[in-house]
This record gives sequence, C-alpha cells and structure tokens, in this order.
Amino acid sequence: MIAQDAMQQLEQALGKEKLVTAREDLLVLGYDSTPGLHATPDLVVYPTCTEDVVKVVEVARDFNIPLTPRGSATGLSGGSIPINGGIVICLNKMNRILEIDEENLTATCEAGVVTLDLFNAVAEKGLFYPPDPGSQKISTLAGNVMEDAGGLRGLKYGVTRDYVMALTCVLADGSMISTGGKSVKDVAGYAFKDLLVGSEGTLGIVTEITVKLIPPPQTKQTFLAYFDNIRTAGEAVSKIIAAKIIPSTMEIMDKATINCVEDYVGIGLPRQMAALLLIEVDGHPAVVAEEAEALKAILDEVKAAEVHQAKDAQDAMKLAEARRTALSALARVSPTTLLEDATVPRSKLADTFTLIEQLTEKYQLTVGTFGHAGDGNLHPTVLCDERNEDEMKRAHAFYDELYEQVLAWGGTVSGEHGIGIAKKGYLAKQIGSGGVEVMRRIKSAFDPQGIMNPGKIFANEGE
Amino acid sequence: MAAQQTCGNFTILDAPEYEDVLQCMRCGFCLPTCPTFVLTGRERSSPRGRVALARAVSEGKLDFNQAMKEEAFFCLDCRACTTACPSGVKAGEVMEVCRAQVHQQIPAPKWQGALRNLVLKKMVPNPGLMETSMVPARLYQKLGIQWLVRNSKILKLGPTWIDKAEGMLPELHRPLRPQLPDLSLAQGEKRGTVAFFLGCVMTLLYPEVSRQTVKVLNHQGFDVITPKEQKCCGAPHLTEGDRETTREIAAFNLDLFLDLDVDAIVTDCAGCGAALKEYEEILAERKDHERLSLFHQKIKDISEFLCERGIRTEGLKPVDKSVTYHEPCHLCHAQGISKQPRELIKAIPGVDFREMKEASWCCGSAATFSLKFTDESQKILDRKLENVRKTEAEILVTANPGCHLQLAWGLREANMPQPVLHITELLGLATPD
Ligand SMILES: Cc1cc2nc3c(=O)[nH]c(=O)nc-3n(C[C@H](O)[C@H](O)[C@H](O)COP(=O)(O)OP(=O)(O)OC[C@H]3O[C@@H](n4cnc5c(N)ncnc54)[C@H](O)[C@@H]3O)c2cc1C
Ligand code: SF4
Ligand code: SF4
Repeated sequence: MIAQDAMQQLEQALGKEKLVTAREDLLVLGYDSTPGLHATPDLVVYPTCTEDVVKVVEVARDFNIPLTPRGSATGLSGGSIPINGGIVICLNKMNRILEIDEENLTATCEAGVVTLDLFNAVAEKGLFYPPDPGSQKISTLAGNVMEDAGGLRGLKYGVTRDYVMALTCVLADGSMISTGGKSVKDVAGYAFKDLLVGSEGTLGIVTEITVKLIPPPQTKQTFLAYFDNIRTAGEAVSKIIAAKIIPSTMEIMDKATINCVEDYVGIGLPRQMAALLLIEVDGHPAVVAEEAEALKAILDEVKAAEVHQAKDAQDAMKLAEARRTALSALARVSPTTLLEDATVPRSKLADTFTLIEQLTEKYQLTVGTFGHAGDGNLHPTVLCDERNEDEMKRAHAFYDELYEQVLAWGGTVSGEHGIGIAKKGYLAKQIGSGGVEVMRRIKSAFDPQGIMNPGKIFANEGE
Repeated sequence: MAAQQTCGNFTILDAPEYEDVLQCMRCGFCLPTCPTFVLTGRERSSPRGRVALARAVSEGKLDFNQAMKEEAFFCLDCRACTTACPSGVKAGEVMEVCRAQVHQQIPAPKWQGALRNLVLKKMVPNPGLMETSMVPARLYQKLGIQWLVRNSKILKLGPTWIDKAEGMLPELHRPLRPQLPDLSLAQGEKRGTVAFFLGCVMTLLYPEVSRQTVKVLNHQGFDVITPKEQKCCGAPHLTEGDRETTREIAAFNLDLFLDLDVDAIVTDCAGCGAALKEYEEILAERKDHERLSLFHQKIKDISEFLCERGIRTEGLKPVDKSVTYHEPCHLCHAQGISKQPRELIKAIPGVDFREMKEASWCCGSAATFSLKFTDESQKILDRKLENVRKTEAEILVTANPGCHLQLAWGLREANMPQPVLHITELLGLATPD
C-alpha cells in the first residue's frame, strides 16, 4: 500500500493521467517474459520526461517506497517484476529519438526507444547500430543497457555495452548524474557508465542514452549449414573461430527448435536435421568473398550434411527473423518454457552439447537448444508444464547440474539475460562471496535506502 | 497431459480455453503490431495484456468486470497479433470469446439489449429483412462507428466527431442478391462448379464487385451457383459476442451449402471467409466432425481459389496501370492468405505491381481511419496513406468491403487520386464481357 500522502504528492507532481491504480492494470504490469514469475505493484507511473522521473524518485525516497523500472518487460530474469510491491515506473512512453549526430556518429535517445526503431532511424541516414537482441522489435534501449543485451551480431560487433557512450541517470536520492559523453576517449574519474551498464535497474533509473554508431558493412553473405549431429555443429563453430574467421553472426538451432520455428514461419527449414547453423560474414567485398570460401571449406571438412547460401538480402533477413522467433516458437509446444543462458568458452561448445543431451536423457525432459553459438552462448530450453511439480523439480536439477559443469569449464551462468530474480542463487557460486560483498557495498553507496529495484541480483539469506 | 479445464470467474458456456491463455509466454512480439496498444501504450490494451487478463479471470484472480468488457470490445479483432505470435496464441479470438461472457455476466443497459436483439436476432439472419431495414445498423457496425461510440471515452474523442463520422457513410445500392441468377454458366472449357457465398455488405454496398466476381469465375471456367436462401455469415453476431445466434446461422448455412454438389464455396468478402472458416470451431459440439471439416475445406476466398486452380490468362485484356495492394486483416491475419492476391494481380497482363510498405497494417476496422478524430490516430492514418502515396500507384486494390470503405474515405479526405478497387474488379477489367 502506498501512503495517502505519497499518492497525493505524486498526483500533484505528475498529474493523474500518468498514474495507474486500477487492479486490472496493475495485474498486467507485474510480469515479464520469465516463466512463472509475477507480482502485483501498488502503483504504476508513466513518466514522459526526466523531470517526471526525478519527482517520482523523490517521493519514493521520502516515503521509502520500492521502485522497479520497466521497459517493455521482455526480460528473461525477472528484472522488472516488483517483488516487493511499491511503484513500477514504466519508461516505454519516453520514446523519442532526440538526436542523430552524423558528425560524431552518435545517437541520443530517451530510455524507452525501441531497439529496432533506433536501428531503422539510423539506417535511413546510412548508419548502423549493431546490437540486435531477439526481442529487438519491442525491447527498449534502457532495458538493453540495463541487461547489457547481446544479439545475433554479437560475435563480430559486440554487445550493448560496446556501444554505450553516455548515460543520464536519476539516482535513488533524486540527484542526477550524466556519465560519459560523445568523446571516444574518456578517463576522467571512475567509469560509472560501465558500472551502470548491466546493473539491472538496481543503481538508478536511466532516462537518456547516447550510443555509438558505425558505418554499415558494404556487403554480406549468409549461409545455412545443416548437421546430422549437433556435436559436429559445435565442432564447426570452434574450428571457424580457430581459423580466425569472425562471422558477424553464427547462430545455432537444434532439431526441436528447427521444428517449432518452421511451424511458425514455414520457410522450408530442414525438419529432419539434428542442428543448423546460421552464419553471416560481412564487410569489404573482397574480404567477404575470402571468408566465405574459407568458411565453406571448414564446413566441408567437418562434414556438414548440407550447406546453402541465401539468395539475396531479403532471403537472409527472413532467416535472421526466423531465428529471432526461436524462443517464442518453442513456447508453442508446452505451457511453460524454462530457458537458460549458459555461456562457455567456445572450445567447449561440442562438449556442452553432449552434456545437454546426457542430462536431457537423465532427467527425462524435452529440451530445445538454440543460441548465439559464435559467442558460446546457449539457451537450452526445457519445454514443460508449471503445473507438473515433478517435472519442474527435474528441470531445476537439470540446470543445477549443467551449471556446475559450465562454471567448472570457466563459463558463466548468464551470458546476456542477467541475474534478476531467477538466477540469484547461482551468482555467488560464480563470483564468490567476496565478489558479492563488494557488489553490496557499491549498491549501498548508490542506494543506501535500498529502494532501487530491491530483491534483484542479491540473494537474501536462505534464498 | 490431460487438459485441465479451469473456468474460474468465467461462466462455463463459451469461456476461453485455459490452455489457450496459458500458451502466452509474454515475449511481447505482438505489441508493436497491435493498433490499440500502439494507440494507447497501455499494457492491458495489448494482446499480451488481454491474454493475461483472461488468464487472471480463469484463475479466479480477477472478476469478469467492466475492464474486461471494455477490452473485449476495444480489441479490433484485427488478428494482427495472431500473425505476430510465434507461440500460436490468438489474443483476438480470446477477446471474441470474452464478448460472449460480457452478455452472460454484465447486464446491458435495457435499450441497448433490445436494440441488439432486434438488430442481430431478428434482422440480419434473414436476408430479405436485412436488406430493407438493417442497412443502417449493419453499416454503423461495419464502419466502426459503433466501435467509436463504445470507446469514445478511452479514445478521448471530442464532442464533434460524430458529425465528421457522417462523412464516411457510403452510397447504398439496390441489393444484388435477388438479382443474381441461381446458376450462371462457365465459359470456355469448364473447370468445375462453385457455390458463391454473397456477403451482406457486398450485396448492398458493392453489388458491382460481386457481379464482377461471378463474371470472373465464369470466364475462368466455373459454373456459379448462388443459393438465395443463404443467411448472413454470422460475423456480426460473433463480433457482438452473440455466439448462440451465430451457431444457429452457422448450422443453417453449413447444411444449405453442403447439400450442393460443388467443388468449392467461394466468397469475395474476407470477413465472411474468415467467419465461415470458423464454423468448424463454433459448431465443435456437433457430432458430425467430418461434415464440419469438409465444409471448412470447401470454403475459399476468391484469391485463394483462383490461385489454387491456376489463373487462365488467355483471353485477358491488358490493364496498363500501376497497382498497389492493401492486405485486409481478415484475409492475411485471420486466413493466412497473403501471397495469392499478389500473384493474381501480377498475372494480369500490363499491370505494374508496386508493393507498399506495411501492407498488412490494419487500415482500421475503424481504428486508423475513424480515429482520425484523435491526434495520435491521425499519425496512424497518415502512415497508411503515406505508404500508398510513396508507391505512386494509380490504383489501390484490396479485398474486403470494410477496408474498401475505410480506404476510399481516407483517400478522398486526403485528396488523393487513387480509386480503390476490389481484386475481382481489377480482374474484371481484364476479363472480356
Ligand atoms: C523472445 C525473446 C528473445 C530475446 N533475445 C535476447 C537476445 O538475443 N539477447 C539478449 O541479450 N536478450 C534477449 N532477450 C531478453 C530481453 O529482451 C532483454 O534483456 C532486453 O534488453 C530487455 O529489454 P526490456 O525493454 O524489455 O526491459 P525490461 O524487461 O522491462 O527490463 C529489464 C531490466 O532493466 C531494468 N530497466 C528497464 N528500463 C530501465 C531504466 N530506464 N532504468 C533503469 N533500469 C531499467 C528493469 O528494472 C529490469 O531489471 C530476449 C527476450 C525475449 C522474450
Ligand atoms: S501473445 Fe504471443 S507474441 Fe504476444 S506476448 Fe504472448 S506469446 Fe508473445
Ligand atoms: S486482434 Fe488486433 S486489436 Fe485485438 S489484440 Fe490482436 S492486434 Fe490488438
């Protein structure tokens, strides 16, 4: 419950139309794309400018109300779910692109700009914003920044962090900081910008973002390679990397994923194959031609069952689009899709596939695996039913065992989806209690009252 | 696993299936394609939000309340979300089912109930009556004025919009149904026999279109039977949540058409086609499943049918025009027919086909065009018109009377020169009399 006084102050500061209190609205603003998680906020606010955000934070500070930022709620670790109630602050109406600076190759946007909208706007000016998470047609830039989202082009072009140049942020005490700028080099003071990227809304609320743009590649070639055996696909990836070819995209889908995606898109994907790799090389035409040849030679050598090349740009785009639907398409088959985000050093890919197969067998589950193979980032997804307790137990045992090995190989529990609520338990295992302790100290320096997205990242005792 | 029937705060009759709402994994892919979400930015007015509300009602966490009623009728039923959803969720259909719940659970104001009964129960199902007295009500609905009246509060419409809306009313014609012969014969080498399902709006507003449809079918080598007793397809009743009357009508039409010895049942109205293809589901409780699925298989939109059979191009006159195509929601989203109309257009000699951007973005079953009355919506309308303009095409083709009305009105308002033609009118231009 929000105190009457707090409500009144908010109403005065923002106006009634930016506040939402009806039960039916609150009910649908307490989930994201993470299965099984839901909480109901006490109040939702829709700021339309940075000043609005400051006012909301001030009231939250004065009345000690938890604040949970929300973009488009496509998060996969529960980051925008208000597990302690309080206020959800929705930034998706702050969606103006403020400037595209063609001299400095930067774009400045409000927090709620949709990723693909930015991509299209800069493309119209002959520029390129590479980070392209599967959810790009609806995810917000601030959501991307806060989760440090990767995408299909991560292998060559990097992730969101690599493009963030400046952030404007409202801190828990209502003060504002601007960190970074349009200069390509900047070593003045601590790198706050880098600390904020990937902080999952626990350090402050981002209101403005400046990103770096680059010239688009002159040309590209897109290939689909089919495999009778998923291990072989893993080997192909390791070999391509070892041959010092850096494709812009190298995505994998296993048989279950291929079939679900094909059910949706119907573009003739090979239903009987064990796996496919979607590979794209881009850049200068001469380099692309060379890399394409080398790539085909490796695929030949590892005995890929078939290799096809996309006819044209449109064909290539269809394939990438199809890959982006993988997770949602897997959800066709079962009521619940539990997805994970394991990432391993790329030389371990083939072993990881073998392990996933063994564990699937051991725990008697249906698993579809896809992911950014070139990054070593896999999304083994258990297709299950949250109403079946036994199955859920087996699913969790599956992940526990998988992660133990992934960490032993020097991998990470989250390549790109963040810790949020869903993976709090695993974090300490990976970074150790010392690491968590330093994080706690940083957190309390930014947010001594603990009102910024509480209940995320840090596990309470017993959790 | 056994499907668990949970009704929660839904009544048992005509409740959304729990499994259907559970299927949504909340990825949000549908959000940017939903006109009501784009317009309001409100989660509850998005497919994801609507399904979540239905789930909350199923799980007893929310009463079937006023907000559910609002969303059920604010949803345009445009089905863009069905196409956008990789998980196979059909938010539009869930809302359609919820409309039936509205009538069961929320008493309508008395006058409204009476009008509804008169309009939907007594008039529309009977072609004769409807043609004389139902014109205004049907139009009111088809043009989306009803949707506007209902949602004027959500949309924050000013007091003068209704005057402007009058400008949308089209000209009425003498109904075509009684004029069409029971049987009109194939020309050239005969390729088969089809039954023609003639929609209510087609017969009244676009008799010329349906005349062309018959002419084209004949010229393509098909005998066309038009049963005079056929009733409205049921879409208006379904849209209003009156599933009971829909079932009665569906049963009548199904038996009438299946008793004919025809290869296919063809319609030139995308809205009717979508509704007819839903009979199987609407009548699912009947035991004769084979008959239901046979009926489903026979229903063909005119483009779908001609493409399947292959268009005969010999004898077609060239049409030297540039043409662009707007996809009706009820064709591309509800029936998945998207390639076929384009193939037909391209098959006409002389036509220069120009693809427009966002061809499948809803033209408005009221939303975009009617919404011209709000500031935000002006943007959506402009977006569609701008996409048409950019093609510099001389003719805009579509395949559904609802879109036809909206587009013709919108182009006129914007002083744009393109005429709107139904796809069979374009084919008609190429077909010798
Ligand atoms: C089908 C599907 C595919 C996906 N594919 C990918 C992929 O390829 N790569 C990838 O990395 N991720 C992927 N994701 C995950 C998700 O889309 C990303 O994490 C995305 O960045 C989230 O953006 P959002 O706007 O939805 O943020 P939300 O989910 O709303 O929020 C995410 C986090 O950011 C915080 N936050 C949001 N806005 C602000 C703000 N203004 N200030 C401070 N904190 C804020 C929230 O509190 C939360 O902790 C996918 C998700 C889905 C459903
Ligand atoms: S309806 Fe489909 S597209 Fe929309 S959120 Fe649910 S699963 Fe995703
Ligand atoms: S049918 Fe149309 S209006 Fe209704 S939820 Fe789907 S996309 Fe939105």
